[in-house]
Amino acid sequence: MIWRTVLRNEWRLLMADRALRIALGLFALLLVYALVNGVVWTRFLERTVEAVQAGNTERADAIESELIDIANGGEPISPFADPRSPYVLGGPSASHTAVLDPGPLTALAVGQSDLLPYYYDVHIYTNESSSFQQNGEVENPLNLMVGRFDLAFVVVHLLPLLVLALSFNVLSEEREQGTLALTLSQPVSVRGIVAAKLAFRLSLVAGMALAISLAGALATGGFASPGRVLLWCATVVAYTIFWFALAAWVNSLKRSSAWNATVLVGAWLVLVVVLPASINIAAGLLHPLPSRVQMITAQREASNEVVNQRSELLARYLEDHPEMAEGVVADEQPQMGALIWAATDAVNSRLEEVTGEHDARRAEQIALVRRYRFLSPALLAQEVLIDAAGTGDARFASFQSQAKAFVEEWRQFFVPPILAGEQLSASVIPHLPKFRLEEEKAGDATRRATVPLIVLGGLLVIVGAGAGAGLGRVRGAD
Amino acid sequence: MQIPESPNGRAPLLEARGLSKRYGSTQALDSLDLAIEPGEVYCLLGPNGAGKTTTINLFLGFAAPTAGRALIAGLDVSTHDRETKERIAYIPEQVMLYRNLSGLENLEYFTALGGKGSPGRERLAEILVEAGLERDAVDRRVSGYSKGMRQKIGIAISIAKEADALLLDEPTSGLDPKASNEFSGLIERLRKRDVAVLMATHDLFRAKETGTRVGIMRYGRLVTEMSTDEIGHADLERIYLEHMHD
Repeated sequence: MIWRTVLRNEWRLLMADRALRIALGLFALLLVYALVNGVVWTRFLERTVEAVQAGNTERADAIESELIDIANGGEPISPFADPRSPYVLGGPSASHTAVLDPGPLTALAVGQSDLLPYYYDVHIYTNESSSFQQNGEVENPLNLMVGRFDLAFVVVHLLPLLVLALSFNVLSEEREQGTLALTLSQPVSVRGIVAAKLAFRLSLVAGMALAISLAGALATGGFASPGRVLLWCATVVAYTIFWFALAAWVNSLKRSSAWNATVLVGAWLVLVVVLPASINIAAGLLHPLPSRVQMITAQREASNEVVNQRSELLARYLEDHPEMAEGVVADEQPQMGALIWAATDAVNSRLEEVTGEHDARRAEQIALVRRYRFLSPALLAQEVLIDAAGTGDARFASFQSQAKAFVEEWRQFFVPPILAGEQLSASVIPHLPKFRLEEEKAGDATRRATVPLIVLGGLLVIVGAGAGAGLGRVRGAD
Repeated sequence: MQIPESPNGRAPLLEARGLSKRYGSTQALDSLDLAIEPGEVYCLLGPNGAGKTTTINLFLGFAAPTAGRALIAGLDVSTHDRETKERIAYIPEQVMLYRNLSGLENLEYFTALGGKGSPGRERLAEILVEAGLERDAVDRRVSGYSKGMRQKIGIAISIAKEADALLLDEPTSGLDPKASNEFSGLIERLRKRDVAVLMATHDLFRAKETGTRVGIMRYGRLVTEMSTDEIGHADLERIYLEHMHD
């Protein structure tokens, strides 16, 4: 009864307050703009993935028809790229691209999808340096913290500001305008009144955020993963409630509206801006990544060293087989392929050493950020939202791991015939390894979100308990 | 709980028993004993800091007594917050309402909070007119109301809520004589409906005109009380001033 009364009154107050209506309208526009941004990005990813997959088919078809043509007496299109040679068929010209489809809710949270590679060209020469080290540095905390203007950004960074604008004076205004005494002379509790008022405002803010989120999920097929949609919605609601609870707590301290506003904006600044940035800066300072320039230089040195050795080997080989220098004896090419592969393998081994340190440092940075994310509800919410969207580190790491496994599978397919000096025919095309991404299980994201959500819930309980206790002490005469 | 018997066999609507309140080293109210029956208008007179508002606040549950009890219809305010508030209405010195809402919308809200349900918009509009508000002001925003008009909303709340007791804290302070007179008329009408009224005021004239009994407070103590039938305006002023001298 009280709730219905307060909710109706709040609606009337909202309708009578033009500034409040404008603020809500602006927030709705921001949500729509963020969603449009996300949808545009998702469509771009979808088109890229589609083009990449079409490229796979086109390359396989072209190679197959060339092999059939050669089998029927034709000549290779290039004498240096005879597709019958396994080191050519397994090389870049016939590569297979391993691709990660956009996350189910990418339109809601771009997350890491604009930072981490979502497709890799897989061939026998694919190595750590050229394919798996893109965009690896965590050196700009602002980029990581702010990210793109998507729904996750609006929810994590801007939604709290709207919540605070709507609730910083939820009780203090009643006291300042004098309605609190009249209200509390009725058979109602302060807790009940404030809870009902905040519930109304929560329904407005969270309602808009959820409505736009669900519309985005609907428009981009996100409902194929209902668990992720549910996780997204639960996080948005929990995070929104946290900020309302914080506002209630500050209001329960019986200070002025101006004081409340100052404290709450300060809390936003610390929890949403300063802490996440500080944690990222600390990660960079405590576990600095090796300089990218140094790493690339080291990679080049390693590569050059091996390539020089390869040249020496090749030179020796060609001294023994001068006819190979003319490139006219086709049946000797397989031996050269074996030599090239052996040299490539040596380069890869050296590169793994060079990139190992980079990977280890980055893992330490991520571990540090994960360890201290509990200090900031914004970090917790962002982590869960991005993970729920399928654009978080975990899904990309899983994809990268599967892509690396696929590289090995590809090599295992081609290296034996290279070493054996075999030639391949069109009949091998249907049997070429194909990358099939094994998506995460339905509950994986939820399982990862359990701890952050429990912590967020814990923070909510602490703040809510503080608010409840404080409001219990408020009297009409205050 | 033992409910004390009043002369008519029922508990007084408003009763203070040894009611005391201390704020730090200040004794704001000291052992107040008071009983107000239905149809009685009890006016508390006294200078600032005498304990008038503290008494009202203790009946409202806005503050907890240091000692003694505040009872409404025999129920202790400290332990029966909801039940006691269902039976009372409160009009502060400044009836502050939601400025962006109309008088009718404010009345609807506070009446609904009263817990007895709303009698409907038409009836509430009639109550506002009954409380003295011009009909064309009923749907106007409160931001354009005078203090007297807002006080009438307060009276309308008590009528709509069908309150048994009315607590008034300096209700006529700042009102012009005409508005004060109208306000007294409204109180008189409530009195005739057997509403018990406790009014804290500085206005000796209004206390004599409106009240049935008058109590004079000083330093948190009720120093004397009398029936308004027994004295004239000049007597009340004289007695009041006598008690204000050390």
